Amino acid sequence: MSRLKGLVARMRSVIGAQSSEQRMEEEFDFHLEMETKRLIEREGLSPREARRRALVSFGGLDTHREEMRDGRGARWLDETMVDLRYALRTMRGSPGFAVAVAVTLGVGIGVNGIVFGAIDSLLFRPIPTHDPSKLVALFNLDTKSKQPFSLGYEDYVDFRDKSNAFDGLAAMTDMPLNLAVPWSTGVADMVWGSLVTENYFTVLGMRPTVGRFFTAADAPQGANPFAVLSYDCWQSRFAGDSSVVGKTIRLNGTGFTVLGVAPPGFKGMRTFGFWPEIFVPIGMHNIAIPGSTHQLEGRGGGNLMVVGRMRQGMDRPRTEAASVGFAAQLASAFPATNATTSAIVIPAAGGFDNPAYVKPRVLFLSSALGVFASLVTMIIICANLANLQLARLAARVQEIAIRLSLGCSRERLVRQMIIESSVVALPGVAIAFATLPLSGPVEALMVPHLQFRVGFGTTVNDRIMWFTGLVAVLAVALFGLIPAIRASSARSLTSLVGSPRTAPGRSSRLRAVLVVSQLALSVMLLVGATLFVRSLLVERGNDIGFDSRNRAMFSTNVGLQSYDEARGRRYYDDVLARVRALPEVANATWGFPVPFDTYGRDVALYVDGVPTSSKDGTFAAQASMMAEDFVGALGFRLEAGREFTTNDSAGAPRVMVVSRHFASHVWPGKNPIGQRVRRGGASGPEATVVGVVGDATFASLGQSSASRVYFPLRQAYRDWETLIIHTHGDAASLISKLRPVITAADPALPIFGVTTMDDAVSGGFSTSRTAASIAGFFGGLALLISSVGLYAVVANGVSERTREIGIRVALGSTPGEVMRLVMQGGARLGFVGLVIGLGGAAVVARLMCALLHGLSAADPITFALVPVVLAVIVFVATFIPARRAVKLDPVAALRSD
Amino acid sequence: MAPHPQESDALRGSIDLLVLKALALEPMHGWGIGLRIQQISRGRLEVNQGSLYPALQRLEHRGWVESDWQSTENNRRARYYSLTKLGRKALGEEVDKWKRFAATMAIVLES
Repeated sequence: MSRLKGLVARMRSVIGAQSSEQRMEEEFDFHLEMETKRLIEREGLSPREARRRALVSFGGLDTHREEMRDGRGARWLDETMVDLRYALRTMRGSPGFAVAVAVTLGVGIGVNGIVFGAIDSLLFRPIPTHDPSKLVALFNLDTKSKQPFSLGYEDYVDFRDKSNAFDGLAAMTDMPLNLAVPWSTGVADMVWGSLVTENYFTVLGMRPTVGRFFTAADAPQGANPFAVLSYDCWQSRFAGDSSVVGKTIRLNGTGFTVLGVAPPGFKGMRTFGFWPEIFVPIGMHNIAIPGSTHQLEGRGGGNLMVVGRMRQGMDRPRTEAASVGFAAQLASAFPATNATTSAIVIPAAGGFDNPAYVKPRVLFLSSALGVFASLVTMIIICANLANLQLARLAARVQEIAIRLSLGCSRERLVRQMIIESSVVALPGVAIAFATLPLSGPVEALMVPHLQFRVGFGTTVNDRIMWFTGLVAVLAVALFGLIPAIRASSARSLTSLVGSPRTAPGRSSRLRAVLVVSQLALSVMLLVGATLFVRSLLVERGNDIGFDSRNRAMFSTNVGLQSYDEARGRRYYDDVLARVRALPEVANATWGFPVPFDTYGRDVALYVDGVPTSSKDGTFAAQASMMAEDFVGALGFRLEAGREFTTNDSAGAPRVMVVSRHFASHVWPGKNPIGQRVRRGGASGPEATVVGVVGDATFASLGQSSASRVYFPLRQAYRDWETLIIHTHGDAASLISKLRPVITAADPALPIFGVTTMDDAVSGGFSTSRTAASIAGFFGGLALLISSVGLYAVVANGVSERTREIGIRVALGSTPGEVMRLVMQGGARLGFVGLVIGLGGAAVVARLMCALLHGLSAADPITFALVPVVLAVIVFVATFIPARRAVKLDPVAALRSD
Repeated sequence: MAPHPQESDALRGSIDLLVLKALALEPMHGWGIGLRIQQISRGRLEVNQGSLYPALQRLEHRGWVESDWQSTENNRRARYYSLTKLGRKALGEEVDKWKRFAATMAIVLES
């Protein structure tokens, strides 16, 4: 307590230095006045003599003044100011060093902040509401497979009304919507939407930005055509205009009144979902999801994501226990549907998703690798700066030695060094903070470009600022403290002083250790980066199985606009006829899914005599519904048989085309043409294989999609299809011409996913490409910084050994011998760094394995290439100083001291 | 006493102790403290008066004394120092320490 009081008094006296000074002068004046008066009165001295005697007995005024200033810390302040000025002057004296520090530190710290920001927003994406930590998500849990799955509506209602486990429980399900804005001229567009229970925003505890949210009155089925917009939607599509509230927009062709706008930053509750733009009451499911007659029914599983607020005083485990108990009641009440259904409750404060979807290993790995790479880069940068500081220190040995011998305290010296490092680091820290807003664009590069927006929604928040600040402080401590301690320690000082003529001292040994660790860490980063790049090249080099050139894609969903099958078919034929009539068009077809679409689709197939593990004898395969001429229009390779024609229509015998991979797996050694396959099960409709096409890649992530079957669209209707147009010449330049031709068939129907096949293929690799370029950035940066460090050490060694080299040359050493002598040292450092680094890299590569598509963690090319690159760098970094050593004039060298 | 600001710790300690002792009776300004020390020691301790002030500052930082502006009998503004509770306790301890030290010194010197 007394210490604290003292500290407060000291702080006050430092801050209020002016008033302390005044107080002191006043006290001294008072003292002298009283003493003078006393001497006049008691001893009868003259005022002049009394004043003189008073001053004498007081002692040296200035001495006491100084002592008091020291006592209250004024000296500390003075010295700090002097150090600051000195540091600024030194910095001006070596601008190159200052720029190097600013740039490397800025990049290093900034990168750490950005990486942390991405992970932060993934882990703690804040739901903009009060007390989000009380939010939890409820899933069914299969008691046998232990797999979580989403709820049916009736189970949800029972949990909400009867379980007593939650303080409010809401449900949602997502789907695409055709949005048309009647008062705007813009064409219809496809947006991502969310069907929510009317209590959704109430349970989340959100306030509308404008207007209002749904109320209990909006619950009745089918009678509440209301919509709430997301903040982003409101901003981008309605320019943030509040008058949109109360107006009517058209969703899937039906009018919906806009009630309000959700708070900014709310991207829906799902971690791995698209960001919904429009929220609609679940009672409107008939329009949002045409044909969804059973949406408000169902037990033992359904399509509802359920989120709730925990009751007062309850935590997640107790809420889960209560839910499991209630699920058991449901299981005994409805054994037919719920017998094996239990419950699981997960935190939802930062959004949630079905725990089964999350690939925690891949996520965790990418996060860990990101943190690892950025921290390692930071350490390399700090080691390099410490090294540069040590080199500068060596040049200041004289100065330091003089100051120490003149009685400068070591504490003072350390303080001065730290102040210098901080001043030098300050511009770097400023650069780092300035780079933080780049986190958004970096994220945009990282996340895949899909039809609707996804991502983490990285923004610069307090946590990121604090983290960046902490990294900055640690960095300055790391690169400032080592030279500071070194400078102040007596033993090292003698070694520094003695170094020009003796063997390398402790200081150069420390610098060698720093360089070796830099090189080792760089090798690790470089191996990681090379593996990513190689993985990308391997992926890209793979045959994608079709010709993506001169092809454009347009998607449409006629189902959302409530087309029935007959109208849908008329539309498909109409569009094909219109497009094929254009002179620029070589061919066109409908298909879904097509290669490098975001979607996949499984069908269950039954083939007589093919054993499977499932009870009903079926097995799953990827399937696409294609119109006639798809092989030609998509540039597939027809390996056997024929492709679909207009004759393969509803009334004709059912046919199908299979991929080479499928054919060789299901009918090894047999001719696949003429084989029969049933859809759905042993009693399903039977189709005859009429053709075999080459294996095509449908997605980027090395997915084993080669096993695929194709059904004719005319025999298996789908209401969501993609139009592929094969053009004469560049497809990109024709898109704007093709689009109005398609929309003319039905202007109210949104066309989406418009792109060229080349762009789609390239987009499929975007995540890998970004990972590779970011890893390459880290690796290159680390290597560059380390090579500068190595160069500095070798160059410094040359100037330290100038005399020795001079003697050797004078005694007849050839230039080759001198060069070998100098380069040997550098090569040894490089070799040690390489060996240590390769060891570490082997470990990192094994951990990275899950992120490398089609590449072994022990990829021989990578592990051969990196040492070669390092050898070249080491050679260059040592050759330049070595050449300088060779050019030394022996006479001048001997005189150098 | 030595005019050099870097007095030995023992000397500093003894000034601190004298100041504390002088303040034990009643709050007093710096000049008064010097006077009182002279009086108590019957003039035998000639304290360098100026060095009282760094001592007072030290004691204040340590939380043993506190100070504020007051008026003297002649209506002159002066900084008055008084012992804190902590300072009173410290005085007792410091006196004990000093006595033990003096006794030890006496034993050593008289043997």
